Amino acid sequence: MHAFVTVGSTRFDALVHKALSPPFLDVLRAKGYRSIDVQCGNSDFDPSSFDLPAPDHWHRTHDGLDVNVWRFKPSLKDDYERADLIVSHAGSGTIIDVLRLGKPLIVVPNPTLLDNHQEELSDALAGLGHLKSSTVADLPQAIEKLDPSKLVPFPQFDGSRFRELLDDEMGYVDHDHARKNGR
Amino acid sequence: MQPQFTSQGIVLCLLLGLALSGALFVARLYAVLSQGAKPRRRRGPAERCHLAVFLGSGGHTSEALSLLSALDFSRYSPRTYFISEGDTLSMRKALELEAAKAADASKSGLSHPAAKAPYSFVVIPRARRVHQSLLTTPVTAAVSLCAAIWHITIAPLLSRSSAPEVLLLNGPGTCFVLCIAAYLNRILGLQSPRLIYVESFARVRQLSLSGKLLRPIVDRFVVQWPKLLEDGKRGEFRGWVI
Repeated sequence: MHAFVTVGSTRFDALVHKALSPPFLDVLRAKGYRSIDVQCGNSDFDPSSFDLPAPDHWHRTHDGLDVNVWRFKPSLKDDYERADLIVSHAGSGTIIDVLRLGKPLIVVPNPTLLDNHQEELSDALAGLGHLKSSTVADLPQAIEKLDPSKLVPFPQFDGSRFRELLDDEMGYVDHDHARKNGR
Repeated sequence: MQPQFTSQGIVLCLLLGLALSGALFVARLYAVLSQGAKPRRRRGPAERCHLAVFLGSGGHTSEALSLLSALDFSRYSPRTYFISEGDTLSMRKALELEAAKAADASKSGLSHPAAKAPYSFVVIPRARRVHQSLLTTPVTAAVSLCAAIWHITIAPLLSRSSAPEVLLLNGPGTCFVLCIAAYLNRILGLQSPRLIYVESFARVRQLSLSGKLLRPIVDRFVVQWPKLLEDGKRGEFRGWVI
């Protein structure tokens, strides 16, 4: 099993630090994970215990668990698809992309952001059962307790809602619909 | 007897004229604000509609393009993409969507693969840069407004190309100046795009600043969480639209 931690284009030192800490990695190992990738974006971390197999790519093993750290990629879609669990900052784009792939997601809102409306979104979606929301400190317990089969599937994109709204606003009459209603 | 024009008389006339034109402007503004856009007309299913969208970068761009992906591009054509100065990432994402839509259309035989897709990009200077001081904001906002007025009010008068009939907005700041330009068209009695604002999926309990500003003046105000309408003010909720 493979875990993926992502902070998108932001800086979130506390999450990256936690994701690379031995207690966290022990929990992953005990849950049966064999590898973890950490996309750290602009975050600071201590690279001293890592090898550098490529520029901007750090690697080490922790008790048989493969740990890879890197900063950015043009698209994270392949990384979401490869992962059995995703831990993410609360960016709405990441949340939608991951949930639409049907992947288990634990969201960690960044408490250092001032206008933290992202926490509203993760709370609301956690309330609907689509994901789990956690603090940095509680992340190991959140992973220990996570049961992906209990998560509620997130609805796929439904383009008809906006299409109908705009067609209506611009005066396109839905002919099939009008006929059915005898108009 | 010859009427005597004293200097007081001239000042009085000027003041009267100023007051009169001010009153006319306010009355016109009031009429425009209370009516909204001209009543919509019915369109045939094959009729085209010139669509414009503002791509506000980052998450705003992703959501706007997600909304666009739902549309029939042969109907909403041509398309004008307003982007902020220097926002090449939004431009690249829009080009990706256009390419994907063109590939779909040629697969289903609706268009010739070599046919040039009818879309264009218009660059608007930012009304306010991130972390810009409040002192210089009026200057950049004025420059931004002039660009918006040029593209929405003046350019359509000078050229024969069509003007946008609908303008899709979802924030941030710069989309407000596009709205003001559209209102200038309404005050002057020119064709104005209908204004549609879609609040971000990320706004659950509180509207964004752009949302608060634009809510009273756009033609359709769409939110994605019902809690945002609990204050009873205008807006509509149709579930998640992105």
